[in-house]
Amino acid sequence: MILQQILNGLIVGGVYALFAIGFTLVFGIHQILNLAHGAVFMTGAFVALYSVQAGWPLWLGFLLAMLASGLLSVLIEVGAFRKLRKSGFAELEFGAIITSIGASLAIMTIAQKISNTQIMRFPFETMPVVIYEFFGLRVSALQLVMAACAAVLVVILTWYLYRTAFGRQVRAVAGNERAATLVGVNPNFVFFQTFFMSGALAGAAGVLVGLAFNSIHFVMGEPYLLRGFVVVILGGLGSIPGALLAGLVLGMIQTMTVAFLPSGLTDTIIFSLLFIILLIRPHGLLGKPEAGAMRGR
Amino acid sequence: MMSDLFIAYRPLIDLFLLHSGFALGQYIVLRAGVFSVANAGLTAIGAYLSAWLTLRAGVHPALSVIAGTAAGTLVALLLSWPLARLRGVYQAIATLAFVQVVLSLNVYSERFTGGAMGMNGIPKVVSTGTLFISLLVTLYIIWAISRTRLGRAFDAIRQDEMVAASLGASVRYYQSVAFAISGAIAGYFGAMEAFNTYTIEPQRFGFDFLVAALTYVVFGGRRSIWGPVVGAAVLIALPELARPLAEYRTLVYGLIMIVVMAHLPRGVFDTFVEYLHRRRMARMDRAAIAKGDNA
Repeated sequence: MILQQILNGLIVGGVYALFAIGFTLVFGIHQILNLAHGAVFMTGAFVALYSVQAGWPLWLGFLLAMLASGLLSVLIEVGAFRKLRKSGFAELEFGAIITSIGASLAIMTIAQKISNTQIMRFPFETMPVVIYEFFGLRVSALQLVMAACAAVLVVILTWYLYRTAFGRQVRAVAGNERAATLVGVNPNFVFFQTFFMSGALAGAAGVLVGLAFNSIHFVMGEPYLLRGFVVVILGGLGSIPGALLAGLVLGMIQTMTVAFLPSGLTDTIIFSLLFIILLIRPHGLLGKPEAGAMRGR
Repeated sequence: MMSDLFIAYRPLIDLFLLHSGFALGQYIVLRAGVFSVANAGLTAIGAYLSAWLTLRAGVHPALSVIAGTAAGTLVALLLSWPLARLRGVYQAIATLAFVQVVLSLNVYSERFTGGAMGMNGIPKVVSTGTLFISLLVTLYIIWAISRTRLGRAFDAIRQDEMVAASLGASVRYYQSVAFAISGAIAGYFGAMEAFNTYTIEPQRFGFDFLVAALTYVVFGGRRSIWGPVVGAAVLIALPELARPLAEYRTLVYGLIMIVVMAHLPRGVFDTFVEYLHRRRMARMDRAAIAKGDNA
């Protein structure tokens, strides 16, 4: 029973990690807290749903969702952050909070209008319900897909950031934007890449959550944004391995508290834990004193 | 004519006065360089405690308001002690966690708080006039503080903590004081909200509240005490003015937030003050040149 819960928790945690890695990527590299990340996540679920309703296969909808969310995220960068970036750090830190809330409101209004404020579902049998059993543990096909997607995307992202020339440019901008510009890195192109990756990951998480809980609506991003904060801080702001680990831990804690404790207390426990961990380790579990662990390896 | 207008817009005016109070509670911590968003939780504590005292224990509303204010102050002081270890975004997230804990406990402890449905039938003893006077007094207190050693210490710490500390300002002490003042304002206006709106429910003091309070301050301006009030006035009036846009209201609202912040990142009011200041300096320069004493 406990093993089963741990397994379920790990799979939910993988999706949290997908969501949070995009969030932490943007923060680690650009020191921008993008509060529109939840709206991007929701957009991913919407695009996949409408693609499937249009009769296209789920895998195509999934890819379209990632593409659309990535582009939306780039649009947010250009529209809401680009001008602000030139006004100094304090202005960016606070201003970005406001402009990204503005972007989030705008996107959610459009989604509300499109969906008529309805809660929508994927058509029945979009994802066939198949249950496998390994050593007495029950795993559904959907759960396997979720775990596989999360794992593959994280591996691709890590490879891209640490093994390609593009990734080196991204990390150079994280270290020192001015110096990177001097040696010929185009910062706007780096912003394009990070925001695109961040958005695409959020979109993927949105589709998986939409499939798993079969409930898609225009405010579905908000609880994930709050959970995203928890994951990102626990893992240390800007740290991708940290976000992955923290996502898995949070997923397990959540399924455990739901399974074994009074259900109304889940949020109380998760957020109290976050508070206490921050007091013991002020920069998160794997965080370093200077936020932005992207700088080194 | 004037009084008709006043009656028609009375709920809106009440909303503006209350939210200006919330914005000022948020403003004072930011002013001292603390990135706390705990005000939503502190306001909830003030609102719930005062409503509970009057509804369930039969305490006179005035005493309940005092109790709510005291509770806000006390909890803020308790919070400031561990939070002194954190900086910047980490403070923001830790205080966000505090807000979420207060919210979920309010939902969970149904016996005391009425759970997700909240508390109903709270007597409406706070009128527009009371709110107006409350806001004026709060503004006066903050203005008076700004002109003392305390206010200067806040500004020094916000601008450069290291320098302030090296000049002998105890960062921990001054930030706790800022926290306590902010908690008092939050608790007080929480109680005002409870006694002005008949009902309170947990969700009202959640993420949306926190975002709204922060937005008023950043949008209006983080330096001048009028910034938060101007921010609240503009952002509360905007949706009303945009009413003909019907369901696209929030879309336009969001876009305006982006455009204004991108072009006036220091906030509407602070930018205006800077503009006036620059113009005066330019005029003084010109006057000096005309008199010929810049030679």
